[in-house]
Amino acid sequence: MGRGQGVLTVSEAQARRRRLRPDFTTPGLLGLPLAWLAVFFLVPIAIVGLYSVGRLTLDPGPHTVTLAAWREFLHSPIYLKLFWKSVKMSLVVSVIVVALAYPLAYYLALSGTKRKYVLLLLLIAPFLTSYLLRVLAWKVILGNQGVINSFLFWTGLRSPDHPISQLLYSRFAVMLVLGYIWLPFVALPIFVTLESLDRRLFEAATDLGATRWQTFRRVTLPLSLPGVFAAFLFVFIPTLGEFVTPSLVGGASGYMYGNQIVDLFGTGFPDWQTGSVLALFLLGVVAVLTIVFSRFLQTREVTAG
Amino acid sequence: MNVALSRRGVWLLRSFFAVVVIFLYAPIALLVVFSFNNSQLPSFPLSGFTLHWYHQFLVNADLRSALGTSALVAAISSVGAVLLGVLASIALVRRRFRLKSPVSALLLSPLVIPYVVFGISLLLFFHAAGIPRSVLTVVIGHIVISLPYTILVLMPRLQQIDVSLEEAAYDLGASRLRAFRSVTLPLLLPAVVSAYLIAFTTSFDEYAVASFVVGTRSTFPIFLYSALRFPNQLPQVIAVAVVVISVSLVVVIGAEVGRRVAERRLG
Repeated sequence: MGRGQGVLTVSEAQARRRRLRPDFTTPGLLGLPLAWLAVFFLVPIAIVGLYSVGRLTLDPGPHTVTLAAWREFLHSPIYLKLFWKSVKMSLVVSVIVVALAYPLAYYLALSGTKRKYVLLLLLIAPFLTSYLLRVLAWKVILGNQGVINSFLFWTGLRSPDHPISQLLYSRFAVMLVLGYIWLPFVALPIFVTLESLDRRLFEAATDLGATRWQTFRRVTLPLSLPGVFAAFLFVFIPTLGEFVTPSLVGGASGYMYGNQIVDLFGTGFPDWQTGSVLALFLLGVVAVLTIVFSRFLQTREVTAG
Repeated sequence: MNVALSRRGVWLLRSFFAVVVIFLYAPIALLVVFSFNNSQLPSFPLSGFTLHWYHQFLVNADLRSALGTSALVAAISSVGAVLLGVLASIALVRRRFRLKSPVSALLLSPLVIPYVVFGISLLLFFHAAGIPRSVLTVVIGHIVISLPYTILVLMPRLQQIDVSLEEAAYDLGASRLRAFRSVTLPLLLPAVVSAYLIAFTTSFDEYAVASFVVGTRSTFPIFLYSALRFPNQLPQVIAVAVVVISVSLVVVIGAEVGRRVAERRLG
């Protein structure tokens, strides 16, 4: 300091303040959140990377960097097949759930109902209650002694010796429960997109002689696609890495890729190196999906706007 | 005339909406019914009314301690997440800086990471760093998970608050901190409260990440998960489920209604 004290003109002072603002406060604001994520989010992922190439290992011993686990993974039919099975399961769940959620969002946004926010809250509220307890509810419903089977025995529609046993501990159970869990949430991004559409577009389409169905197909649906893709991504990504629901209601046939990762870190036969490879592969797929879809969404928004 | 839907269309969609809502709430309603059912097995026919299961869980020490641990973890981690979220949101909304889009992508990225991957990352990190697993390690993980949710709640509200209010405070001689405390924070408060509640419920319910980094003190979801594997505990667990689901529904709906009312009043 020292030089020019007390002779700052107003514009100089303003310029100085403007200079000071970004220089001083932005790192002050971002420092803590970014440091937290660096230490407890990025570094841990990097450590998984070190385990995957054998730089760090579970047992003490010579540490040589090797790509053997990666090579094995890419040539192993078991892991990739399991991954593909999980992709198919989450794909089916996501498509069905988005298809069911679309008419719900459409009703809320465009039917002119006055209670749309109340109804939206009614729809979303189950999503905000405990995840595990909603899985529990289905375990109670689907089991061999569960609500559906015991109801069938009671009413005599089925003999107690032959319960419908494929209800629980099956691929079907996993997909049903995942769909149940994600359905309320998925309506939200679609609703937001439909809600923000310019209503004059529909009127213009009608004025030009389009039927409601044509208006929907040529105007509403294309413009709401960003919300549909966002909704799809919101279900697909978490269900792809899912392990909790399959471990509770999936049995052997509902076993997913996420369960394999957990088992490789479990107490049975831990193989942290292979487990790290599987985890990073999943992370890579999710990262690529997110980046590709987010670019796509942005360009859609530009062309739609 | 509604140009998006015919009258028949409205009727069809309304019926469909009702069916879905029934599908969503029926399993929860069944839990309520069976929580009062006087039988070890949750199955038909119903065998009489009892409060036995509610009584049993009230005297179950493991369960109560798990609820307490979860409340503690949720309370601490949500304060941390909201604090970091407020700082980050102000930077993202009010400041110009280079690399803004990668920075905001990083801040929101815990939203899309598969929790199984984040869970094992933390496990390996704490293992490599020689940090024993405990309540603290769960708190650390939950702050990371909740942070993007708090940012997503805080940012839109901050965008609504007129910058000129803060600038007026500076012109009147307020320091940055003073302007934040006396002008921005009161206007932001409803969003801060709902961010806190979202972070709290996220942490309270979180199983996947906690399962990798939890120590000897179980959180409530960890307790639930292990109880789900023992059928003799099932009726009590159903009773707990009913209580927890009811409380969270009341909190969630109350918070949303409260936030709307408060924000309407604050403008």
